Amino acid sequence: MEPISGQAIYVVLLRELKRFWRAKPRLIASIAQSFFFLLILGFGIGGLFGGALGGSYLTYIAPGIIAMSLLFASVFSGVSVIFDRQFGFFKEMLVAPVSRTSIISGKIFGGALTASIQGFLILVISTLLGAYVIDFRFALGVFGAVGIMLLITAGFVGLGVAIGSALTDFHAFQLITTFVMWPLFMLSGVFFPIETAPLPLQIVMLGDPLFYGVELLRFCLVGTITPILGPFGLFIALGVIVGFTLAMIAVGTVLFARAEA
Amino acid sequence: MKELTRVFNGEVTAVDNISFTVEEGEIFGFLGPNGAGKTTTLNMLATILRPTNGTASVNGFDIHEDPDSVRRSIGFVFQDPTLDIELTGRENLDFHGRLYGLSKKEREERIAEILEVVQLTDRADAYVKTYSGGMKRRLEIARGLLHYPKVLFLDEPTLGLDPQTRRAIWDYIQKLNQEHNVTIILTTHYTEEADHLCDRIQIIDFGKIVALDTPDNLKATLEGDIVGLTFKETAEAQKMLPILNEIDWVNSAIPVSGENSQAGMSSMIQMMRSMGGGGGEMMPAMGGGGGGGHPSMPKDPEKITEAMKMMAEHGGLMRSFRNIHLLVDDASKRLPEIIKRVDKVGIELASVTMNKPSLDDVFLSVTGRRIRDEQGSMMSMFRRFRTMRQARGGRTPR
Repeated sequence: MEPISGQAIYVVLLRELKRFWRAKPRLIASIAQSFFFLLILGFGIGGLFGGALGGSYLTYIAPGIIAMSLLFASVFSGVSVIFDRQFGFFKEMLVAPVSRTSIISGKIFGGALTASIQGFLILVISTLLGAYVIDFRFALGVFGAVGIMLLITAGFVGLGVAIGSALTDFHAFQLITTFVMWPLFMLSGVFFPIETAPLPLQIVMLGDPLFYGVELLRFCLVGTITPILGPFGLFIALGVIVGFTLAMIAVGTVLFARAEA
Repeated sequence: MKELTRVFNGEVTAVDNISFTVEEGEIFGFLGPNGAGKTTTLNMLATILRPTNGTASVNGFDIHEDPDSVRRSIGFVFQDPTLDIELTGRENLDFHGRLYGLSKKEREERIAEILEVVQLTDRADAYVKTYSGGMKRRLEIARGLLHYPKVLFLDEPTLGLDPQTRRAIWDYIQKLNQEHNVTIILTTHYTEEADHLCDRIQIIDFGKIVALDTPDNLKATLEGDIVGLTFKETAEAQKMLPILNEIDWVNSAIPVSGENSQAGMSSMIQMMRSMGGGGGEMMPAMGGGGGGGHPSMPKDPEKITEAMKMMAEHGGLMRSFRNIHLLVDDASKRLPEIIKRVDKVGIELASVTMNKPSLDDVFLSVTGRRIRDEQGSMMSMFRRFRTMRQARGGRTPR
């Protein structure tokens, strides 16, 4: 098999970036969606909760809304292999003397990078809306958050690639949104703290990889983490996310390598 | 590229145990109807699909053992568009150049050069989604050549293009072949394209090679030209038929009911064929390469009479026909003689036509149907049924 080629990875990544930058309507829609969530839910439902969360509701949901933006952008970016196949570009890559591992690495890097750029924009917007206390700890936390973003998105691009490689019909797209993305998002503890949920729901939420991602982001940006994970919650969450990301990259790579043109 | 041989039983029905060699510098065509197995064969040669059985070598590299060297040696222009329409033409080429490991300098030079060749220089920086069909096709061909492949695969290069664009692409393919010594393997279901472009043509049908030769030799297998005589009355035609059949330089004389000469040839050849194959195999086995072993019209008068009888019984053609088709060697010389003979009997001809057999006729004669005959004849239905049965048998264990 052809060895991994830096140039091949780079060119696939470059293509992802170019396409991301040119699809401005999509970018605007995605940013606006997150903005509405922050503004309407953040200030709307915020009044209902009052100070029950130890801070404003906007502060509580902001890291989760960043995670939502990361989730949707990265899974869609991975699933776009369906469109590459539908529109034939897949074949151009397959007939080239480069390994599929190179192609998929470029795809994952590119997808993670573009999704994280979106996430970062939401981070900026939520900061401007006053979601965070701006101090030295926050400044450090932003760097951590960027790292977490890249990690989470790499895993979800892998998941998207796995789904996109296994499915041949792009009409199944709607099913992916309804049965994969929304449950992942709703169960991730964006809107309500896991401690307040009934036990069965808590168990399901603990099975959602994005839950750990949200907790990590919340730790970086707000400085709190759910007590339910115990005193080593931070490391548990980090471990789960790293494990999830590696597993998804592996599954995505294997399924992509098997997919037929 | 020296030799390319392959033997495999791929995909049960798609491509069935075929072997051939393409010479360096040749334009080699696969002619066959949709679904004949042309694209499957190309995909296997390009290492996109794995053959179920057998192997091939491209440019001296084995497709199993060294697929990467194979990929480096080839360019592939797919049947379906494979451009990224969200990128510009230049970016598509640049992407390709990087995938094939070209340096920045090489990419810049070659992209400029190739854009000039396909006359897309002025549109190079526009998004591909704004291109016309012909422009996209030219860009794809340009891309296939960017890394200077030894062998270029073109899968239906002019499918769905208008006549001018088709002509331009043909010229371009020939130029590439001659000036850059690129070996070209193309598939097509347009007989005129195969005839115009290819040094050698391989006719493929139901995953099998049914003929392989130069266009001229293939046409020569029909042994002669087709002379169509139209009479004013059926009775006159009936009277002339045995007389014409007596002439020793007439290879065959066949009554035709319709006005369309092609339809006549079709029914004639099918009748011949359905009688000819006593041993269960409908199609004569075709030897690749040499001129021997090609099917030709039976000259045996008994067989012809038998054929006419069958046509009379089954087709009702004898009851009313005003046309006779003669298969004659060197028709232009024989035509005056034919007219004289008819005149001698005291019959006046309504009209005379003379045609060289086209590749369409060749295709018809080796496959028993016309290339664009979507419905298919009884025979092709029968064959399809048989292939299906074989396929099913092949898949079932035990």
